Amino acid sequence: MSQTPTKAEPLILGNPTFASITEQVSEITERKTPLPWYILFTMSVSLVMLLFGMIGYLLFKGIGVWGVNIPVGWGWAIINFVFWVGIGHAGTLISAILFLLRQRWRTSINRFAEAMTIFAVMCALIFPGIHVGRMWVVYWMFPVPNQMGIWQNFRSPLEWDIFAVFTYFLVSSMFWFVGLIPDLATLRDRAKTFWRKKIFGFLSLGWRGGNRQWKHYELAYLLLAGLSTPLVLSVHSVVSTDFATSQLPGWHTTILPPYFVAGAVFSGFAMVTTLAIIVRRVFKIEHIITMRHLENMAKIMLATGLMVGYAYSMEFFMAWYSGNIYERFALINRAFGPYAWAYWIMISCNVLTPQLFWFKKLRTSIPVLFIATIFINIGMWFERFVIVVSSLSRDFLPSSWAYYSPTWVDILTFVGTFGLFFSLFLLFIRFLPIVAMAEVKGSLPEADPHSHDHGKH
Amino acid sequence: MKTIITNKEYWKSLEQLDADPEFQKFLRNEFPGVADEGQSDVVTRRKFLTLMGASFALAGLAGCRRPVEKIVPFVVSPEEAVPGVPVDYRTAMPFGNSAHGLTVRSFDGRPIKIEGNPLHPSTMGATNAFLQAEILGLYDPDRSTLVLKENKPGTWEEFIVFWQPLFSQFLVNSGEGMAVISCPSSSPTLIRLQGLFKRSFPKSRWVVYDPVSDEQIHIGVKAATGRNLLPVYHIENAKVIAALDSDFLALESESVRHGRQFADGRRIHSPEDSMNRLYVVESALSLTGSMADHRLRLPSSRVENFAAALALTLNDFNFFVAGTEELDASIRQTVDQKWLKALAQDLIAHAGECLVIAGRSQSIAVHAMVLSINKALGNIGKTVDYREATGDLLPDASELAKLKYDVDQKKVNTLIVLGGNPLYDASITIDFAKIENTIHLSTYVDETSQQSTWHIPQTHFLEAWGDVSSVDGVLSVTQPLIQPLYGGKSDVELLHLLATGQDRRGYELVRDTWQEILPQTDWESAWRRVLHDGVFSAPVTFVVPEILGEGVMRALKYYPVETVPPSKERLELVFKPSSHVYDGRYANNGWLLENPDPITKLTWDNAALVSPLTAQELGLKNNDVVRISIGEKAALLPVWLVPGQADYSVTVQFGFGRKAAGHVGNRIGENVYTLRSTVNSFIELGAVLAKTGKRRELASTQEHGSMEGRPIVREAVLEEYRRHPEFAKEMVEHPPLKSLWTEFTYDKGYQWGMIIDLNTCIGCGACTVACQSENNIPIVGKKQVANGREMHWIRLDRYFSGDQNDPQLVHQPMACQHCEMAPCESVCPVSATVHDSEGLNLMVYNRCVGTRYCSNNCPFKVRRFNFFNYYTQVREVEKLQKNPNVTVRSRGVMEKCTYCLQRISQAKEKAQQEGRPVQDGDFQTACQQVCPTRSITFGNILDPDSAVAKLKKDPREYGVLSELNLKARTTYLAKLRNPNPELA
Repeated sequence: MSQTPTKAEPLILGNPTFASITEQVSEITERKTPLPWYILFTMSVSLVMLLFGMIGYLLFKGIGVWGVNIPVGWGWAIINFVFWVGIGHAGTLISAILFLLRQRWRTSINRFAEAMTIFAVMCALIFPGIHVGRMWVVYWMFPVPNQMGIWQNFRSPLEWDIFAVFTYFLVSSMFWFVGLIPDLATLRDRAKTFWRKKIFGFLSLGWRGGNRQWKHYELAYLLLAGLSTPLVLSVHSVVSTDFATSQLPGWHTTILPPYFVAGAVFSGFAMVTTLAIIVRRVFKIEHIITMRHLENMAKIMLATGLMVGYAYSMEFFMAWYSGNIYERFALINRAFGPYAWAYWIMISCNVLTPQLFWFKKLRTSIPVLFIATIFINIGMWFERFVIVVSSLSRDFLPSSWAYYSPTWVDILTFVGTFGLFFSLFLLFIRFLPIVAMAEVKGSLPEADPHSHDHGKH
Repeated sequence: MKTIITNKEYWKSLEQLDADPEFQKFLRNEFPGVADEGQSDVVTRRKFLTLMGASFALAGLAGCRRPVEKIVPFVVSPEEAVPGVPVDYRTAMPFGNSAHGLTVRSFDGRPIKIEGNPLHPSTMGATNAFLQAEILGLYDPDRSTLVLKENKPGTWEEFIVFWQPLFSQFLVNSGEGMAVISCPSSSPTLIRLQGLFKRSFPKSRWVVYDPVSDEQIHIGVKAATGRNLLPVYHIENAKVIAALDSDFLALESESVRHGRQFADGRRIHSPEDSMNRLYVVESALSLTGSMADHRLRLPSSRVENFAAALALTLNDFNFFVAGTEELDASIRQTVDQKWLKALAQDLIAHAGECLVIAGRSQSIAVHAMVLSINKALGNIGKTVDYREATGDLLPDASELAKLKYDVDQKKVNTLIVLGGNPLYDASITIDFAKIENTIHLSTYVDETSQQSTWHIPQTHFLEAWGDVSSVDGVLSVTQPLIQPLYGGKSDVELLHLLATGQDRRGYELVRDTWQEILPQTDWESAWRRVLHDGVFSAPVTFVVPEILGEGVMRALKYYPVETVPPSKERLELVFKPSSHVYDGRYANNGWLLENPDPITKLTWDNAALVSPLTAQELGLKNNDVVRISIGEKAALLPVWLVPGQADYSVTVQFGFGRKAAGHVGNRIGENVYTLRSTVNSFIELGAVLAKTGKRRELASTQEHGSMEGRPIVREAVLEEYRRHPEFAKEMVEHPPLKSLWTEFTYDKGYQWGMIIDLNTCIGCGACTVACQSENNIPIVGKKQVANGREMHWIRLDRYFSGDQNDPQLVHQPMACQHCEMAPCESVCPVSATVHDSEGLNLMVYNRCVGTRYCSNNCPFKVRRFNFFNYYTQVREVEKLQKNPNVTVRSRGVMEKCTYCLQRISQAKEKAQQEGRPVQDGDFQTACQQVCPTRSITFGNILDPDSAVAKLKKDPREYGVLSELNLKARTTYLAKLRNPNPELA
């Protein structure tokens, strides 16, 4: 994947200059707000109101407004939580791991991938908060000193979860913000109105672009990248321990942590690709986010899709190989029980769909990519559904088996989180530079002091 | 009222205040819907204050409703009563001709929990679900609160004034034109007053009516012996039991006693012990059928064939069954030959220690034959006794038909209904419009009350004095624990007024009766002893009746053997009392409605039960609504498939479809009394089931009936157990169980544990309701049950095995197993569920945030979550029922079985005060105490002499899912079956 061989395609097409990149990216935030933005934003915010309405109703009536029951104590809330956390993986992976691996093609997409991460984690964080029976005392899960003498149970994976997800959220936000500083300064420099000057002036933390500043900045960025990298692996591993450390057949497997991470990267890249396809089209920045970016992401999806597929089959193998009748039943029940429909949706979306990406023609086709990535996200949602619901609905004692169905509140709450996600995303693309200008400039040939040496090393 | 305030005159009693006419008027104005007309008084400030003062006084008094008459507590006398310390009283509850001796726990004057009276032969310390739920019925806010005259509020005094002229008139004409419908009863006082009534009004008609009665048993016995005798079974003495359509363990009379007797004959402690063998012939799968070692599926209408064939087979072996000589020998061909022969030989091999028992739904001829068979086998006096029914008010359906004729002829001008609800549950309708005065005594303003000219609220048995006689003649006094919550009169009080024109208190009436019963020397202390013990064993002699062969023959002639078996076009319809509402009397009782039926696991509904094969032939699935028609009568009911149901036999349950039951019970299910051809028929032939295309979802608590080959309930036949006593433990192999951390040793102090004997558990579900009563468990309603949110801490798992059409059943009570290595505890983020040093898995409600992770990680799924606040709709009076020692849980927290922690704590406190350790038997958990079969044992497993520690050493002991290294404190004793080798 090294980008240095001479035959590699250029990262940015159309041979832009520093000035033209600045102009193109900054101009998006400076021009008059277009009408379609207002329309989309109104729609998204309506969904946010819906989300708050649903949460209010839940708070007023109780968890019973959802479809959860005994034995299926966790339903859509936890599924949505894992789904959103999973989506939130791509950003940090692109920013941190690809940064450390010197994958310079990441520069065009990392900014909004990171933004997407933060917004997805925000959507995810709603659910652990509201899914508890008494959400007004949810702070008891935090190890804060209190007069009640409550101390938390650190053996509980839910406690680990709190730390993992919050750490991830904080570090991702910091990483994103640090990356933004030079670009915010660019916006500040270009600002013409009083408030833009003040706000961007404040946010750019006095950035002047001096040498020492760049030196410190790049070291800080590198350190944050180093800090975020283990988090990418840890956060979803920890989320998977919610399941893996329990003894429920279908949950109690050691494969879950790597399987969850692969799945998260898989779904995260699918979401980034979906959004990238829309953004580059709408803002006409196809020369910055090029087909090569999309193709690279498709390749990653193919790889992680295969990992996920391997995990699915390995679960079956282990269920058979372990000789545990409960485990064996849980897996057979997944594929052929009352939730078989969900299982086969998952298999077709997650295992079959990425196989299209073996073919260059398909993985470089915008419509195919667009549809395939949406399918992958649907499939990844169903993966969590299958894991959570099918395992719970039929466990050890057949007497307690029961079918779970969501209620309208479950469904509208999930829909509402999309509203939140898109509202935040729309605000982001309206007010902040959607492409990391400074970094993109760094990947232009003229930024490379050795560009004239190409081919000579 | 004014005088009370201005002259500072204090009332001496609640009654004085009650009797004040102005106050009465005020009370009536409390009910605006039925307010008196022409009340134009302007409420002045002064008057307002006066009335409010009185109502506050009344409210204050409601808190101390200790009965005025002296009642004697079981443990501590009232003057020593310590607030917060519960007091147990002995009382007894009438139920048809039976009596159930009870111990009722009262908390600061509020009865809160019903238990059995260990000294009483009908309960032997245990109870059943119905008896448990009576405490909820007591506090039912829907109970009738006012005397109603033509559905307008009246008073008891007005009724007395109304009755006086009528009374004089009937005295003159000897009661011509007067009729009484009463419930069956063996109450000495009621019988005495009935005698008084009949003496005053010899021309009146007295009808004893009960929609679900043992009348056919009584008549059958009379036909065979010529005497009025009541059977008293000694099932514990029977090595072989053949039940012919008799659910003697659940829905027949005296089921609590029979459960205990059956279990005593089945309990086994070592491979050397023997156990009884149960044969069951029945149509609908009953609890008794579920315990059978051999069960023959037979339509109820064919059971007479079976009984006749059995008699003929016994004749073949020279055990002559009197009265069956003229039976057609070919009848034997109509039943399974091998089965019949094996049963007959088994009975003969155990002659004198076997028992044939027939259910109340069977015809007079069957009961006559069964008596004759038991006589031939020499069982009378050993496994069954007969008691002379002297004076008992026995049900007689023919009298009701005669009454209807009289009413239609306008020969009746006054009808008194003493309890019961004939306008709902009698298949013949007496036209109340044709009767001038109809007086109905009832606890609810029900279907009959609404049609009556007078409704008198009836007291609950816990509110009024009375007395009862058990089926084997043991007498008890029903002593009240609380003043009538809603006013009301007892049946004896009303009857005394009717018979004598005088209003006397039940206390005096009962004491008058007992003047004759108890020895005159030191009567008062004998009376106190009866109140204290709850029983008085009058000397009862059982009789060994002679069999009148011609009587049996005549019965067979009137009720001949049915020759044509039911078919697809001519289905058999069998009526059963419901396990939820019995005959409809518990229609407003949420605990019972939500307690799953032991076999179908349905709640909140009745359904038409059919066999899978019949359903297939008729193209029916679960929840399909069908039109059941028989002649011109029809009812719409959803279908439910029950494996083990006889083909072409449809079972429906009584007691549903009430229109005036109350908030809870109205419009639930369908009334099937209307399908009956006569007032006491249980089996109808010629029914047709037609699909309507509609569906009505039924709420079942167990969707899956197969164990999927998992070793959950472990069972073996007796022979195998004798060869491999440890068979249950050997059923699961697993690698050595190792823990990740050093385990707590639990080797000091009390270590609580439980063991449940699956061999004697009959699956009745009494424990579920007892637990609900003890632990303030809410009901959640049909919709929530359908979504798997029922709150029961202990549930009865029921699994089918074997042939789908003729399955075997197992029952398994399942509550929190109190695992030492509890999976629920490690996953709770806030440590809301933790272990204590005595091995209890505790649930700290206050700390719970409601993640539900503990439930997900519980392999038994016995944790229950408060999805809503189930206490928002609890009405004020219902709060009185709650056990003050158990927290009422709010929304959003998890709850589960605590091993009745409050009882453990009380026992420990008491022991500490007395300076001794808690001893085995100091206390029982609620489920243990209620269990009719004594299948649950609880105690300190570290005490080698405790019953539970001994049972834990039983070779049949095993833990469910012990391979998960749970170290559960609740373990089970494996089930055994005792099949006849001839039928293996």
